[in-house]
Amino acid sequence: MAKAVLVDIPKCVGCGGCSVACKLWNELDWDPYGNMKTPKDTAEEPNNGLWPEEWTSINQYDLDKDGETVRRYVKTQCLHCEDPACASACFSKAIQKLPEGPVVYNQDLCVGCRYCMLACPFDMLRYEWQKAIPGIRKCQMCPTRVANNMEPACTSVCPTGALKFGERDELLAEAKAIIKENGYIDKVFGEEEVGGTSWLYISDTPFEEMRFRTDVTTRPLPSYTDKYMKATPIVGVGWAAVLAGLYVYNNKDKDPLD
Amino acid sequence: MEQKKKKGKNLSRRSFLKLAGGTGLAGATLGLTGCGQMEPEEAIGGEGWMPAQYNIPASWPTQVRGRVPIDPDNPAIVRDDRKCVLCGQCIEVCKEVQSVYGFYELPIKDEIVCINCGQCIHWCPSGAITEKNDIDKVLEALSDPEMTVVVQTAPATRIGLGEEFGMPVGTNVQGKQIAALRRLGFDVVFDTNFTADLTIMEEGTELVQRITGELDHPLPQFTSCCPGWVKFVEYFYPDLIPNLSSAKSPQQMLGPLVKTYYAEKKNLDPKKIFSVSIMPCTAKKFECQRPEMVDASKFLNDPQVSQDVDVVLTTRELAFMIKQASIDFHSLPDEEYDQLMGLGTGAGAIFGTTGGVMEAAVRSAYYLVTGEQPPEALWSLTPVRGMEGVKEATVTIPGAGDIKIAVISGLENARKVMDGIRDGHAPWAFIEVMACPGGCQYGGGQPRSSTPPSDKVRNTRTASLYKIDANAKLRNSHDNPEIKQIYEDFLTVPMSEKAEELLHTGYVSRAEEFDAKKPEDYLHEV
Repeated sequence: MAKAVLVDIPKCVGCGGCSVACKLWNELDWDPYGNMKTPKDTAEEPNNGLWPEEWTSINQYDLDKDGETVRRYVKTQCLHCEDPACASACFSKAIQKLPEGPVVYNQDLCVGCRYCMLACPFDMLRYEWQKAIPGIRKCQMCPTRVANNMEPACTSVCPTGALKFGERDELLAEAKAIIKENGYIDKVFGEEEVGGTSWLYISDTPFEEMRFRTDVTTRPLPSYTDKYMKATPIVGVGWAAVLAGLYVYNNKDKDPLD
Repeated sequence: MEQKKKKGKNLSRRSFLKLAGGTGLAGATLGLTGCGQMEPEEAIGGEGWMPAQYNIPASWPTQVRGRVPIDPDNPAIVRDDRKCVLCGQCIEVCKEVQSVYGFYELPIKDEIVCINCGQCIHWCPSGAITEKNDIDKVLEALSDPEMTVVVQTAPATRIGLGEEFGMPVGTNVQGKQIAALRRLGFDVVFDTNFTADLTIMEEGTELVQRITGELDHPLPQFTSCCPGWVKFVEYFYPDLIPNLSSAKSPQQMLGPLVKTYYAEKKNLDPKKIFSVSIMPCTAKKFECQRPEMVDASKFLNDPQVSQDVDVVLTTRELAFMIKQASIDFHSLPDEEYDQLMGLGTGAGAIFGTTGGVMEAAVRSAYYLVTGEQPPEALWSLTPVRGMEGVKEATVTIPGAGDIKIAVISGLENARKVMDGIRDGHAPWAFIEVMACPGGCQYGGGQPRSSTPPSDKVRNTRTASLYKIDANAKLRNSHDNPEIKQIYEDFLTVPMSEKAEELLHTGYVSRAEEFDAKKPEDYLHEV
């Protein structure tokens, strides 16, 4: 069954353990200046604090709630769409959705076209511009851990329960119960956005104020092109058959293999 | 039939290559277009390491998870993420020993609750958590020829500093510490033990006045020397703030006195005095930045006079400065503190360990009530000595009767007693609380001599402090001639108007900053 993560934003205290876990497990490099960045700084970066070696970023937003300033931390990373646009844009199948949930990337298949980056509605993918043989970098949702029945590195270290790992449908039900109990905003971000994502967010402060893209469609993005792109193999094989037929017809007096 | 046979035989090299190439191309295309599911192992990443406690099936419980939150704006504590191994020890000590993390409701409001005690520093096995480094500010002041840089050293730094230079745990390096500070360029070296004695005079007088009813403040009186404890009360027990002694901590008493009393005596411009303190404590960094700790400036009515204590350095930071200056610590001579505020008694010295403030206070309270010197039994108040979390004793003072006292170290222990006081169980007149288990000698700024902290080290350091007391010529705060002098020349009497202005303070409730958990919610948690 497809796994998912529920992010209970108000439960996060901003310890940043998840981002360290990501670094440890994926052997990501430390930016020599990165350690000086605060969650406030990353929240203001145009790229949401995500870099080739920063697959996740904890961003701090100081928001007004009922007249008092409250601090909220948002963990940002690839949302692992149910029907990912990046994977459908990738003609070399370097990005794929695993049945367990993670949207993963295999650099051996990548041709470096970066269509995936254009396709992503949430701007979560990064490219290694500085490398001689660059690849795409993004959260992989720890596929080897998830496939082996373990939690992703980040959720396994969360001390407050702000990150919960589990079955998507169970987490959705839990999210709705939490929303009701705590009077959160009545929305699970990721339930329907672009057809649903494997990372679900709930919050007591408006998503728009925390740089969530709430203006996206609920329709899976690949479905816009599916109707005619689906015909690609038929057209391809059809053309091959037609052309082969013509060839045979034109050369019917000759030995076909000459 | 004949023709077909012939064709098969005549398959030319060219035809064969065409066939093989075509098949290969078709196969490669099919492969590249992703016919076949990717395996998890083919994805990038996932080649690193995680502590074993996290490499278990998702459905299994993990007892120790994550780490304590540290605000980048924290004035006392910083963490280097590059060194963090997510072992979870910081969260363990913050929750189980200090009862801070996990004792507030989520969501947080606009503050990460932290009492700045720095015990997490001692539990961190990789040295990722450390004090906020303020050495540069001190170096800048030292390089300014117009500045008179005054430094004070806490009771517990003299028995800790030597460990940074390979000396046995608990070695008393008081003289070498003074010599090192002079060589680093500090102009005047004072002893916080002096203001520890002064604290006893003020706090002891306040206690006596509370007991006699002269002062309308509730009993039990709590000590207020520990900034971690004070912040803990402000966060979790704001209703008990009236019980806190209004006397400042020894550090914050010496601060304004340097810029008033000392400046007056030496005819110095208070604006050109930079006050540094060497503390075994990280919470002192927070304390010196409290907005109300600008009493010298208020007293002199000169907003240009900086805060009472400008910079606090931990014992470790001082050791680093000494090493950086290539001073051979071992070969330093033993030097003496500067006069005026450089003389401390044995009672001041034992401020550095749990039970010490209580013992010192009892000695002087006896004198303040009876006018006589305390009996020898009060020079070794064994029930309040040792590493137990909560210690109780009854002291008989003629004229005041039996006085019940309690000594607490470690805030989880304090929480239990405070919850009891809220429920009406408060048989004590005076309670000493130190945030760090064992008191200041194992404060967040002391050398990391065992990780996690051990009672063996605590006991050795404490024994060294008691030895200083036992060998001291003067063992009662009220016998300190410099204390007598400051009251004669400057402050008149304990709790005089001037003393209130410079040596006493007020506290603020921090309950608005967050939602504290209620006892019924945390009592059942393990």
